[in-house]
Amino acid sequence: MKDVAVLGVGMYRFGLHGEVSNATMGREAGMGALRDAGLSFRDVQAAYVGHIFAEVMSGVRVMKEFGLTGIPVQRIENASATGSAAFREACLAVAAGHSDVVMVLGFDKMSAMIQQAAAGIRQASMEDAILPAAFFALWATRRMHERGMKAEHLARIAAKNFNNGALNPMSQRQADKPVTVEKVLGSRMVAWPLTTMMSCPIGDGAACAIVGRADLAKKLRPDRPLVRVTASALQSERYAPGHLFMGPVVGPAQMTIDASQQVYNEAGVGPQDLDLVQVHDAFAIEELEYYELLGLCAPGEAEKCIEQGDFERGGRVAVSTDGGLIARGHPGGPTGLAQIWETTLQLRGEAGARQVEGARIGLCHMMGGGSVCVIHLLARD
Amino acid sequence: MTAESARPRVPINPGYFTIPDDPHAAPRLLGTKCKACGEHYFPRRAICARPECLSERTTDVELGPRGTLYSYTFVHLPLFGSTNLAHMDGYGVGQVDLAEGPRVQFPLAGKQAEFRIGQTLQAELDVLREDGGNDVVIVRFRPVEAGR
Repeated sequence: MKDVAVLGVGMYRFGLHGEVSNATMGREAGMGALRDAGLSFRDVQAAYVGHIFAEVMSGVRVMKEFGLTGIPVQRIENASATGSAAFREACLAVAAGHSDVVMVLGFDKMSAMIQQAAAGIRQASMEDAILPAAFFALWATRRMHERGMKAEHLARIAAKNFNNGALNPMSQRQADKPVTVEKVLGSRMVAWPLTTMMSCPIGDGAACAIVGRADLAKKLRPDRPLVRVTASALQSERYAPGHLFMGPVVGPAQMTIDASQQVYNEAGVGPQDLDLVQVHDAFAIEELEYYELLGLCAPGEAEKCIEQGDFERGGRVAVSTDGGLIARGHPGGPTGLAQIWETTLQLRGEAGARQVEGARIGLCHMMGGGSVCVIHLLARD
Repeated sequence: MTAESARPRVPINPGYFTIPDDPHAAPRLLGTKCKACGEHYFPRRAICARPECLSERTTDVELGPRGTLYSYTFVHLPLFGSTNLAHMDGYGVGQVDLAEGPRVQFPLAGKQAEFRIGQTLQAELDVLREDGGNDVVIVRFRPVEAGR
């Protein structure tokens, strides 16, 4: 992708914000991103808005918070990958020369959706009788059978992400003391072998990125490193025997392999060049599998690499540096943009206590409903 | 087995499985076969999904009721949409490879210690709740005991 930069980022901390509206969370994240970019809403030429659970028209309604300037506003939805998919559209609009400055805004209140389900407003169907955690647990059981994975490996990933999240002021889960493997294993069982601490929490929040021409970034903020979007890929499923069609499925592993190859080819880099990686770790088994599917380690070596601490901060390549979905949280629409927030701060050297020293290249990976994979590469000049 | 009931059985959603008149007969899954390439699908679809085929010459078929367990878990929460007391302590879930080819995901009957990857299972109907004088049912799979 040519000459597209992240001009600014902002977040409304993920958490349970019962009485705080999407409009308030979205406005705060958006104004934060504009301030970070050194821009006014008058400068924004188009907006892409991502939400999953909010009602129809929420995108344009929340955008009115910033002022009514007549710009094109589009809502993008792709399940968990909503924010990432909206970010991709903004990057493509800038790369194609349609716009110089584009706002990408994601917000959601997953807590409201859960309350509706509990109150019986949502009817159970063949598609959702089974809890999503179960489908990822099936991946874990199969991995135990084929590769000898132990629950301890998953607990180590979750403990890492909790401890990273404790260094991130925007993280939903804030452990008051270091989280151990034993504590993760001792938390309540959800779907064997996945415990609550190996699973992302329910939460609300917002996140925003301002995307624009790279030369503008240099003019607006000459005081700090320029963060470019060097590659973008979005892939849906390709059929293969054994494909699962029904339910909130995990999705074929091949999607992550193919999408990552696309971004590596586009940017002319390989997995060995990455300094930090954010993945769709809604459940710890996912992060383990994505180590291999993204090429961070060879097939079958994830367990060994976890034992060596390869993916911790200070390890070979730091993964889920902001706490990941497991600690930082996963409200829905804003989740993919929280990855962009984290990667941008890391590449600028502004990530504080969780800073990955000398970070130059970061990868952001999200899955949507097991049916779409979105990957972006960001790089510091 | 599911408790006997005199109420008529209706599916949680139509179009996914049969409800045999004989309460002891196994249900079958409503699937599709592609007449061009022979691939089987569950649930039903109009167009073959294979990127090399994409034929519209598909036909309705019934699949199962037996399959092989590919993976399993046990969920420690009530089954969503169920008021059946047997589901309150949780439920098994399995990925089952049908003999015709499709891999399907359904609840499993039994406890976690009874599940083994590679074992043979058979479909049965399980009552989720009563609704308007009917029993609302879903398919689940139960391990087939050796020798049966």
